[in-house]
Amino acid sequence: MIFSSELIKGTLKTIVLKLLADNGKMYGYEITQRVKELTADRIQLTEGALYPTLHALEQEGLLTTQVEYMGKRVRKYYSLSPTGKTRSQEKVTEFSEFLGTMRILLGLDIKTA
Amino acid sequence: MYRISDEQVEYILDDIRRGGIETEDLQLNLLDHICCIIERELEPGADFERFYRHTLRRFYKSQLREIEEETARSLTFKNYYSMKKLMLMSGALSTASLIAGSIFKIQHWPGAGVLLALGIASFSLLFLPLLAILKAREVAHTRDRIVLTLACLLGIVFSMATLFTIMHWPGASALWFTAIGISAFVLLPVYFFTGIRRPETKLNTMLISILLVGFTGLQFTLMNTRPGKTQAQIRIQAYLQSEALLHSIQPSAMSPTAAYIDATCEQIKTLALEHAASDPATLLREGRPGDQFIHDGTGVRLIRSLRDSVAAYDRGYGAEILPIRNTVLDGDPTQIGYVYTNVSLLQAVSQLQLYLATAEGRKLATAAK
Repeated sequence: MIFSSELIKGTLKTIVLKLLADNGKMYGYEITQRVKELTADRIQLTEGALYPTLHALEQEGLLTTQVEYMGKRVRKYYSLSPTGKTRSQEKVTEFSEFLGTMRILLGLDIKTA
Repeated sequence: MYRISDEQVEYILDDIRRGGIETEDLQLNLLDHICCIIERELEPGADFERFYRHTLRRFYKSQLREIEEETARSLTFKNYYSMKKLMLMSGALSTASLIAGSIFKIQHWPGAGVLLALGIASFSLLFLPLLAILKAREVAHTRDRIVLTLACLLGIVFSMATLFTIMHWPGASALWFTAIGISAFVLLPVYFFTGIRRPETKLNTMLISILLVGFTGLQFTLMNTRPGKTQAQIRIQAYLQSEALLHSIQPSAMSPTAAYIDATCEQIKTLALEHAASDPATLLREGRPGDQFIHDGTGVRLIRSLRDSVAAYDRGYGAEILPIRNTVLDGDPTQIGYVYTNVSLLQAVSQLQLYLATAEGRKLATAAK
């Protein structure tokens, strides 16, 4: 099952921040591949959503960048800034609380309990 | 692993640019991303062009430009928050300084003018425009946006008119007329006719329009019943007050030097008044000491003689009882027309007489003891 892009959209920032927190510096393609790998292809980040998010996070001051020149290409590596690190933890905590609330809201806990 | 040639890299970059990706950062990110995919997934010797087209197609729904637009949107959304923050901060700042400024003003404490100016400036130049911009994003119709812009403009002109009035800066009444004009002839009709057509806003539009007419009318009445004082009127009033004061403290007797100084002062004032009396309007229009004073030489001679007798008076005391430095007596009397108007000359001379009357009065009082 591949999740719908609407579901992913709201969590994209959290995903990116968490991946960067775990892996240090990464570039765009690497992020998409890592997500595919970790979710066994169930979450596929689209380029159309990933890059706008990366640019927005960079402007918010949560990411720092580093460029590497490869012939005619330039590879941009992203890593977390100090504020990015705290924000990453906040985002993960927020999302896990959201998951808990969604369980209650959608009555999922009753089945497991 | 497929090896991408430099020509192919150029080709891709060019294609992305033509596809509507304008941000350089984004171009380079996408270029590297596409190259990575091609390098990993394309078999050596396979059709580059076809694979590239196929890969790029996965990036968007209908056009590549979407990524650029989405990026721009996410960046302005970020601005939205900082603008909102700035709006709230400028609102708080202007409210605080207006309240503090008003309290300072009625208590006659120093700093009231600065606080009020700061409050009005941050209200009209930061808070109102930001409010209009942020609100404009929320309304759907272009007409509503026009109304918002006009209302914001009116708010700015209105605040500026208030600021100019309390600071006694020139141009306040022109600003009031502009504000009333915008309100009555631009904002009101535009607002009324956009709102009255929509059933859901009809009642509100009528009420707000009535309020707007009322306020504009009141402001107009206020403006016409209480015209602001001009600088010349303020100076004339100050002069009349010092004359009245001089009259009330005039000592019963004076030393010969003092009497001579006082008489010379009277002569200078008469000359200045005579000049003004030939055309009373020059007094109000801030006329300057003219030909009788300078070319005829009478005024210049009187001032020189006054300076000498004042210096003699001061020498007699051994102190600068009557000031010379930075007064009308200081500097070249032939240049007096550049520095003084008739009214300010009158005021300066009667100021000197006040010093003299005080000094002579004190002398009489000491002698009486």
